[in-house]
Amino acid sequence: MKLLVTGASGFLGRHLVAQAVMRGHDVRAQVRPASDIQSLGWENHPRVQIVRADLRSKAGLDEIVRGVDAVVSNAACKAGDFYTQFAGTVITTENLLEAMANVGVKRLVAISTFSVYGFLKMRDRELLDEESPLDTDPIDRDEYAQTKLVQEELAREFAKEHDGKVTVIRPGVIYGRDNLWTARIGMELGANRCLVVGGRSILPITYVENCAQAIVFAAEKQQAVGQTYNLVDDDLPTHRQYLHALNQYRKPRMKSLPMPWLVMRFLAALALGVNKLFLGRRAKVPSILRPAALHARCKPSTYTNQLIKDSLGWSPHFGLDEALQRSTDDADLAALTPQAAEAQTPSDADQEARTCA
Amino acid sequence: MKSAVIGTGEISAEHLKFLAGSKATQLLGVCDLSRAAARYAARTFGVEKSYTDYKRMLDEAKPDVVHVLTPPQTHVALATDCLDAGAHVICEKPITLSHDRFTSLWNLAAGKNRKLIEDHNYRFNRPVLKIEKLIDAGVLGEVMEVDVRMALAIRAGGRFADRNLPNPAHQLPAGVIHDFITHLSYLVLRFIPDPDKVSAAWTNHGGDDLFKYDDLDALLIAGDKHARIRFSCRTGPDCFALTVRGTRAEVQTDLFHPFMRLVKPRRGGEKLAPVVNQLANGLNLVGSSWTNLRNKLMQRTPYEGLHTFLNKTYDALQHDTEPPVTFDDMDRASRLIDQMLAEGNRV
Repeated sequence: MKLLVTGASGFLGRHLVAQAVMRGHDVRAQVRPASDIQSLGWENHPRVQIVRADLRSKAGLDEIVRGVDAVVSNAACKAGDFYTQFAGTVITTENLLEAMANVGVKRLVAISTFSVYGFLKMRDRELLDEESPLDTDPIDRDEYAQTKLVQEELAREFAKEHDGKVTVIRPGVIYGRDNLWTARIGMELGANRCLVVGGRSILPITYVENCAQAIVFAAEKQQAVGQTYNLVDDDLPTHRQYLHALNQYRKPRMKSLPMPWLVMRFLAALALGVNKLFLGRRAKVPSILRPAALHARCKPSTYTNQLIKDSLGWSPHFGLDEALQRSTDDADLAALTPQAAEAQTPSDADQEARTCA
Repeated sequence: MKSAVIGTGEISAEHLKFLAGSKATQLLGVCDLSRAAARYAARTFGVEKSYTDYKRMLDEAKPDVVHVLTPPQTHVALATDCLDAGAHVICEKPITLSHDRFTSLWNLAAGKNRKLIEDHNYRFNRPVLKIEKLIDAGVLGEVMEVDVRMALAIRAGGRFADRNLPNPAHQLPAGVIHDFITHLSYLVLRFIPDPDKVSAAWTNHGGDDLFKYDDLDALLIAGDKHARIRFSCRTGPDCFALTVRGTRAEVQTDLFHPFMRLVKPRRGGEKLAPVVNQLANGLNLVGSSWTNLRNKLMQRTPYEGLHTFLNKTYDALQHDTEPPVTFDDMDRASRLIDQMLAEGNRV
């Protein structure tokens, strides 16, 4: 099948393209006009067509979408102020979906995030699954949660208003090369020190290559249409275990300062109380001291990937140690040789995907 | 009164915050080309309805006042339609891209007995109001010199440095600086209203094709009074400094990180007055650091003047009195920008 992958030069996007080609698909890879494409690893691959466009503008998007069987909507913006993130995440998606509607492409795999869940209202150690409630009041969270919630809403509207065949995938923390630290562990205190909040809490991670493979599986499978999947790897480590494993590959080692979850939770509740009582709740405090943000980042919860595994027949290929090893060695993991695509014949799954699209 | 907003970019948050909390007006509609953006703004600020077609909004909501908060290139067309629909218009700066177009728009508004008001928000920031009081009280004597200086790292990242989708401000006559030039102009003109000589050096020191200009150095002379307007992206840190010098004293502030340094004749005579000035200003500076810390914590931004401006504007609209930004204020600012851009005045 022919896939359009947006945000193709980003952290996950690079691997999405590589995985899609390895699964025998043709890929149209959208990158921004000023993106450097010299070292993507697949920039010269015969099955990859690179298209330059900024999705914040509608110009030329119909042509970019036309002729593909499915779109993997991966472009998003995690940095900058609210308006920058809104443009980079929401406006881009809105324009993309409009173009899909214009040219009649129905199949969409929308990449969402665990950040859309309302962790504050969950109990400690409660199971987070696809039925868990979404955050209904994300103003106290962060720009990322706010914009990803709107983005997901747009994808669901596309399904309703344009008979879109939509799959929403909510990955946990995606880790891999250059992205081995996550604020879910706690807070960085300089380059080599960190505060570890709730060392025994489980870290909902997915290694970037595993994650990319699951997303390509979802694009291929008929049974994924209309589904929402949480995406994490097997055998999830605790915060402490992840840091320990990371330190096997990291030089210098990250020194950690433990902070029990209940203490941190109390401090955040205290900060909120003071803010409400004396400052009319107008004061801006660091996110780790805002209960809504703290709970979303560090709350001890439990996680499952059963639905995506059962539904798609996917299972994570790389475990934590191997993933960390791959993330810290010299090999270019997204690099494809021109022969890579020939290695796999388009499969039954591909035929199924065309039917679905 | 009934209000509506067109455009949901960054500045809209301040307008919508004001409107959502104002008892003077009911916020009926918000419009943006992006349905998602309009809907999000409506949801966040409790607006009754969101639109993607402003003409439909004018037709359905029939607002008494419309806030035009879109890129400057669109102001004339939008403001014209709003005035035609019988609404007063509060418009972000620069209201138009030339003095001629401002005059036409003003005449249209006057012909329809509607108000047209450009946002001159920094004029209503507390430090500027304090300087005006000092002048009124005669503390500065006669104002002889004004320096307005904005330093912004527009090339170092952010919306203006984005090469993927260049900001519409790059297409303005003075490029990105045009987005700030109104602020610089009305602040100078507040203290030296009628310059008879203007010269301006517009430069692109960075020298690439994204930015038209990244530096402005303008000199204004009105009889024996001098003023200077500076915009720089090569000096740090970011600031919006205003210095007013009179025949008796001088005062300096920074609107991004407010403080007030006032050097004036003080007790102690010629010998001790400088020491007393430094002591008084030192104490003042310590106080300002606390105020700025509190502002940061309480999320008070340099847009505080916008809320005062809107308050006064709505008050004037309700009572049919002259708005706080008058025809003369807008006319002079628009004319000065034309003068600075005129080929004959270039250095």
